[in-house]
Amino acid sequence: MKVRYFALLREATHKREEEWTRPAPDVRTLVNDLVALYGEPFAKWVMKDGDLYGFTAILLDGKDVRGRGGLDCSLEGVAEVDIFPPLAGG
Amino acid sequence: MNGWMGKILRVDLGSGKISTERLDPKTARDYLGARGLGTKIMWDEVDPNVDPLSPENKLIFAPGPFSGTFAPSSGRYDVVTKGPLTGTIAASNSGGSFGAELKFAGWDAVILEGKAAKPTWLSIVDDVVELRDASRLWGKDVPETTEALYAEASEDSKVACIGPAGERMVLFASIMNEMQRAAGRTGVGAVMGSKNLKAIVVRGSKGVKVADKDAFVAACGEASRKIKEHPVGGTGLRLYGTNVLVNILNSIGGLPTNNFQTGHFANADMVGGETLAANQLQRPRGCFACIISCGRGTKVTNPKYKGEGEGPEYETAWGFGPDCGIDDLDAVIKANYICNELGLDTISMGGTVACAVEMFDKGIITLEDTEGLDLRSGNAEAMVEAVRLTGIGEGFGKKLALGSYRLASLYGHPEMSMTAKKQEMPAYEPRAVQGIGLNYATNNRGGCHVRGYTISPEVLGVPVKYDKDATEGKPELVAMFQNLTGAIDSSGACLFTTFGIGADDYAAMLTALTGVKYTGDDFVKCGERVWNLERLWNNRSGFTAADDAIPERLTTVPMPTGPSKGAVSHVKEMMPHYYAVRGWDAEGRPTPEKLAELELA
Repeated sequence: MKVRYFALLREATHKREEEWTRPAPDVRTLVNDLVALYGEPFAKWVMKDGDLYGFTAILLDGKDVRGRGGLDCSLEGVAEVDIFPPLAGG
Repeated sequence: MNGWMGKILRVDLGSGKISTERLDPKTARDYLGARGLGTKIMWDEVDPNVDPLSPENKLIFAPGPFSGTFAPSSGRYDVVTKGPLTGTIAASNSGGSFGAELKFAGWDAVILEGKAAKPTWLSIVDDVVELRDASRLWGKDVPETTEALYAEASEDSKVACIGPAGERMVLFASIMNEMQRAAGRTGVGAVMGSKNLKAIVVRGSKGVKVADKDAFVAACGEASRKIKEHPVGGTGLRLYGTNVLVNILNSIGGLPTNNFQTGHFANADMVGGETLAANQLQRPRGCFACIISCGRGTKVTNPKYKGEGEGPEYETAWGFGPDCGIDDLDAVIKANYICNELGLDTISMGGTVACAVEMFDKGIITLEDTEGLDLRSGNAEAMVEAVRLTGIGEGFGKKLALGSYRLASLYGHPEMSMTAKKQEMPAYEPRAVQGIGLNYATNNRGGCHVRGYTISPEVLGVPVKYDKDATEGKPELVAMFQNLTGAIDSSGACLFTTFGIGADDYAAMLTALTGVKYTGDDFVKCGERVWNLERLWNNRSGFTAADDAIPERLTTVPMPTGPSKGAVSHVKEMMPHYYAVRGWDAEGRPTPEKLAELELA
């Protein structure tokens, strides 16, 4: 499974993307492992009060987890995970 | 008056008569200023069936009550007229400091009417207003014109001018202020060119009076705090600019690619905000009183596209990038610089080139038609040259200057123009995001994102996340965003302040500033009033429900590739409910009851 990072998360991870090989049955497991790996610079844009930060988008093969199960979404069969910190523009 | 200066400047370019009028307090209260005030003046004074490029059309520059104050990010003003690209009422919003300077000179609006006999520029120094000969400036680009006027007037002046594109009445010509800020959309620069007006130069020495200084300081402080503490208003926009959206739109399959043939571009990251920040970005730039600084001061060192200036915004990067099949950010930025220098709207320019590229790829136009321009998808050098030719009115550029609808129609394929009401749609695929398509279709100035930016909840989750694929609730969402934006535009505030504050915050600042009591609902009601007056104008100029549409491709052809594969836009299905939410009849006309409610009867 490929995990891609954008905007401030590239600065937190110093990566654009990586192949994720650890067991990750769901988004919660993946995010917890990423927080453990990259620490506060990553966590502050992704987690809030133990849940997914409402402005943060995690896309599983292009589908946003918000409103579809959030951290409980299964990663089975997912090829690409895109993680965006809070963004705006227009 | 407090907040407003209380005066309107009227300039008859034909006779040279210059006069001053009082701003009616009720008009100010009901329409605020900027877009709202300009629309009210157009409604009162101009026949909606006027030829946009005739002397009978009027061109109105108007700041809002917040302009010139320290309300956070309040550096906006509007140019209102009948737009030559769309035939609709047109208002184009710009930043910088020009709007604030108009207030400092003592004016809530400048109404320009008639046509000057020869190239002219307008000098405004407080109450001293003069028309001056601009013959020596005609033909000069925006930086040359601006520098010349700084030298002749004062370095402290603020200059709004047209470039060669406006002089030639390119239908999507912009008005540029302080060289880099654009009143870009709908062709307001062509109207200025049709009046032989090259520039307005303004310098003021007054201040904006405040009704309750302590309350205004408190309300502005609270609003500033909320914006700064918001993760996007306070951090993200400054670091990456609006172009940070390229990747998320691409990841959901909503980045229009190759003239909206699909919604996913493999090399999108190469033209995104992260790449820009790592390579060409010199520093963030902000408008008057801005605490966000989304502007991009950039520099390109690649000899082929060398230059320095501002941009690109997201829409620009998309239009000259993925929409033309191009992944060369240096070329994209160069096209942006040329638009700024020659005075062209980057969105319509990009969308028009993209349309030509699709026609070229499909053999509808050939090298003979393009006079040798190899417009195949992905050819960055040809794209940049197409932009330059449009601005200077040479070669195939003369046809590109018509915009994509008229261009595609020339070759028998209007369906390849990705427009709503003949204005090029921006950078969000309606098949991938349902609400934004409804906003495009119903927008009073044609294909436009900023007047109903449902991308914020539908994609970004700000203030809360909506399901982008759902249609339920979207008519309500679109109408709400359109109304709120109508009020924000009319106030002189920047739309990006919504990434932090809401209607109650604007109302608190406005009440303290003007002394007129506004609630949040009152504020939004002003926007709804403006929206409905624009609608009435458009209906009177011949627009009907049939014009509330987006290209058939988006409602009938399933997205062919990417994460949104298989999706179509459901604009047609949502439209009846949108009209009902609006209080309009089945033909999209405001009902007498709605007009009475808004004091428009």
